[in-house]
Amino acid sequence: MSTTDTLTMPAFTAWLAAFRDRVTEQRSYLTELDSAIGDADHGANMARGMAAVMEKVEAAAPPTADELFKTVGMTLVTSVGGASGPLYGTFFLRFGMAAGAVTECDAAALSTALRAGLDGVVARGKAEAGDKTMFDALAPALEAMDAAVASGASLAEATAAARDAAAAGRDATEPLVARKGRASYLGERSAGHLDPGATSAALLMEALAEVAAS
Amino acid sequence: MSAPTRVGIVAVSHSRPLAEAATALALEMVAGDPPPIAIAAGTDDGRTGTDAVRVAEAIGEAAAGGGGVLVLMDLGSAVLSAEMALEFVADPPPVRLVAAPFVEGLLAAVVRAAGGADLDTVAIEALGALRPKREQLDDAAPDDAAPPASGAADAPPTPSAPVADGMPAPAIAEATVRNVAGLHARPAADLAQLVMASGAAITFATPSRGPVDASSPIGIATLGAGPGTVVRIAGSGPQAAATVEALRALIDSGFGEELAPGLEGEGAGAATGAGEASGASAAAVAAPATPAAAATPAPARPTSTAKPIGVSGGRVVGPIAVLVHAADEPDAAARVPEAERADARARLREAMLAIAGELQQRADRVSGQRRDVLRATAAIAADPALHRAAEALVRDDGLTPERAVWVELERTVAQYRELGGRMAERATDLRDVRDRIIARLRGVEPPGVPEREHPFVLVADDLAPVDTVGLDPDRCLAIVTEQGGPTSHTAILARELGIPAIVGATGATALADGTVVLVDGDTGELVERPDERAQATATGVITLPPFVGPGQTADGHRVVLGANVGAPRDIRRAVERGAEGVGLFRTEFCFLDRVTAPSVDDQVAAYREVFAAFPGQTVVVRTLDAGSDKPLPFLTALDEPNPALGVRGYRTARRDPAVLDDQLRAIAIAAAAERADVEVMAPMIATVGEAVEFAARARAAGLERVGLTIETPSAALVADELCAAVDFVSIGTNDLSQYTMAADRMSGELASLADAWQPAVLRSIRLIGEAGARTGTPVGVCGEAAADPALAPVLVGLGASSLSMAARGITAVGAVLSSVTLAQCRAAAEAACAAVDPAAARAAAREALAR
Repeated sequence: MSTTDTLTMPAFTAWLAAFRDRVTEQRSYLTELDSAIGDADHGANMARGMAAVMEKVEAAAPPTADELFKTVGMTLVTSVGGASGPLYGTFFLRFGMAAGAVTECDAAALSTALRAGLDGVVARGKAEAGDKTMFDALAPALEAMDAAVASGASLAEATAAARDAAAAGRDATEPLVARKGRASYLGERSAGHLDPGATSAALLMEALAEVAAS
Repeated sequence: MSAPTRVGIVAVSHSRPLAEAATALALEMVAGDPPPIAIAAGTDDGRTGTDAVRVAEAIGEAAAGGGGVLVLMDLGSAVLSAEMALEFVADPPPVRLVAAPFVEGLLAAVVRAAGGADLDTVAIEALGALRPKREQLDDAAPDDAAPPASGAADAPPTPSAPVADGMPAPAIAEATVRNVAGLHARPAADLAQLVMASGAAITFATPSRGPVDASSPIGIATLGAGPGTVVRIAGSGPQAAATVEALRALIDSGFGEELAPGLEGEGAGAATGAGEASGASAAAVAAPATPAAAATPAPARPTSTAKPIGVSGGRVVGPIAVLVHAADEPDAAARVPEAERADARARLREAMLAIAGELQQRADRVSGQRRDVLRATAAIAADPALHRAAEALVRDDGLTPERAVWVELERTVAQYRELGGRMAERATDLRDVRDRIIARLRGVEPPGVPEREHPFVLVADDLAPVDTVGLDPDRCLAIVTEQGGPTSHTAILARELGIPAIVGATGATALADGTVVLVDGDTGELVERPDERAQATATGVITLPPFVGPGQTADGHRVVLGANVGAPRDIRRAVERGAEGVGLFRTEFCFLDRVTAPSVDDQVAAYREVFAAFPGQTVVVRTLDAGSDKPLPFLTALDEPNPALGVRGYRTARRDPAVLDDQLRAIAIAAAAERADVEVMAPMIATVGEAVEFAARARAAGLERVGLTIETPSAALVADELCAAVDFVSIGTNDLSQYTMAADRMSGELASLADAWQPAVLRSIRLIGEAGARTGTPVGVCGEAAADPALAPVLVGLGASSLSMAARGITAVGAVLSSVTLAQCRAAAEAACAAVDPAAARAAAREALAR
């Protein structure tokens, strides 16, 4: 298994494609999760949004990371419809701005960009830990990634750590009571279900780890 | 006058049909030219969803009105998309995203925007749009559909709320705060109560703070609106126009409190019944306050006092009893398991309501300022905003109910402190409410005044209103607090109870319990372990035994020394201090704080309580002395330009003779049932005709001994004829001084004029004394002058055959009289009357008595 210590433009595109594949494959599962505590559209929305993203990106690949992720963000905003639109849209817009007009990122730069994306999500959704949102998957993922980078891990190892932490964070949302979004209207009844947003965010980290390892 | 700009509205929804239907519904309310409305709803392919880019476009479209843009959203991603859209709008117009209900808020906003209202007004209107529905369903609001007779008839003339197709239009008004103290706790409680009773949704805002929910007394108080501040009142829902007008009038009235210099004139605020649905006559909202002129809040006064301040007169010596309240801080880390939070919230609510009820009950049992203060404190405990916030901490964060109360009230304390001045002095009231609620939650006794066998000087960090309610003025010699200023409740209540008090005595609570101190409430002096010489200067009750009658001069001239009684609580003190009956029984306590006159039965019960304490002794009942500084809503006019010279005292009987006749009947019934010798007298008699009329009424009611008080120069000048018309007269020296000298007795600046030692006042008393002697009519004195041991012999020399005073003064006056002869008294009276000013009169009297 060969590894690389930077992600290049093709790798970014591959990450997005892998994320699209995952949300498309798990579309029914995500929707099922969302039907328990939301409006049963997360799977469909994400699949549609990422399909639109890949259509754009594959039609005319932007040359640098900031351009690429701006396109991703804006496309999600206009095509998703649900709360994931502005949230994932903001995530990728901020990710792109932080990455800058570059064509590749090492682990540290990637971590910085991801952090900027998460900060954007927090600013947009005003979510905190334990609110049963995508934050609960992304925040531990970035912490794990930073810790791995700090201890000299490779990009593949760091993103794998992030993937595992995201999955654990996702699983930890099950007993929580939702405090944000439409699920919050369910109050106590939202407990006992995985959060769909945290689940799709874990898929995003899975996709990243897969690309970094290939 | 058509508005030059219009506020545009953006409707953001998941569903395009929903947004279109809601918009159509709103437009049905608009008869004229609608404001720009843009919809951002659903996705391009007709699905459910929102799109931030489309919201940004819609904001651009709605901005065409030039008056800014209000964005209403349904839920979830609509909110996120609207927020995100702001990042996409280049060169944005003023935009407000409001957390208003989508359909109702859209309706309200479109109507208001069509009327030409500004962005703030439209936003406030939208935010309050749920209120009518909530109240309808909670059944909390007065029935709007009731026949108009009840509310409309007695309402002041107000600009009637314009109604468009059954929807009450909002009302806006501005009022300038005019009372010196501003919107502190008591006015805030009054305002909030009015709002809650009305059912209207009202917000208050000042140029620098708010808007706040006007049903929340704490919210109102945190505006920190001092004198001169312009308060913007915005209302919607049932009764909005009338409520806004009533609130404006109440604020403009200054709440019956002292008005700030320069703000005594007519209120500047004017209601503008805004919001005609037709665009043609859209004059609408009052202009924003002119920035520099009226809008600046008064600078907060520093609350910390560098040295102790005497706030209630008197000089006493006694051992201290330290009161330290404050509940222990509840554990911040404790969490309520989710399953138990509903129960915890219920307990919290129960405790808050119980304390509110308890405080209100205590308020109902007392009168005057103490009642106002307790009512304001009860209103804090009942504040709906406080309940919501505290319960949210339990529900969302799992705090214990105790901790939630602690956190929320500490937050409010910090806000009050930041506001400074009088608000900061109310911090104690908030902490008292907090500690009481926590004590109830913990099932322990609430904090309070220590129990002591012997009289004591109460020392505390600060006193809460409730502490002072249970305070026995006989046991409590004086009050010393570390906190508080001249306007704190401690000061107000101590003055009312006649207890010497000092505030700002830093370090006092560190003194050991039982330490003997000398307290001077006039000078602020606080002496720890005073020596014998210092102790001898004290005049407080602890140094003097009760009076043992009969009152007489050294040569046996009889002078009856009675007590003034203003409420049943004064009875025991009067008896214990050895009073020879009651020379002045003020009956106002039965009537104050009521909206209608008390029933005859209620009055009989109250009077009997007093009469029963003095079997075989004389009790002189003064009939209701309302008006001036004691207004009664059912009897006296509120709009007199000069109430001290207005319809007060006996004069109110002209307006409503039935109140007086009922009272006379009640006094007669009570007198027949008890063994006291009951006499009755009327206040503020100015003419012989009034005296004759009153005597006839009183005798018709079955009362035998009838008299009157002499408080006006006119009465003094016709004293012979008055004495002939009645069985006795009693001189009210406070008012007689005020009217003789034409100097307001409440004015500190004029205190040296409104002084019974003024030769002109003494000569007036002499006229009355001479008339009494000529006609064989007993002349009493029942003002504060009677309690002045130096003046008492002079009054006797002028012809007074009885003196009535606050019970604590009887011993000293009795001792002085027993040491002088009637001849000395007469010589002192002559010398004082001949003097040129009060100081010379005192000196002359002292010299004559020493001879």
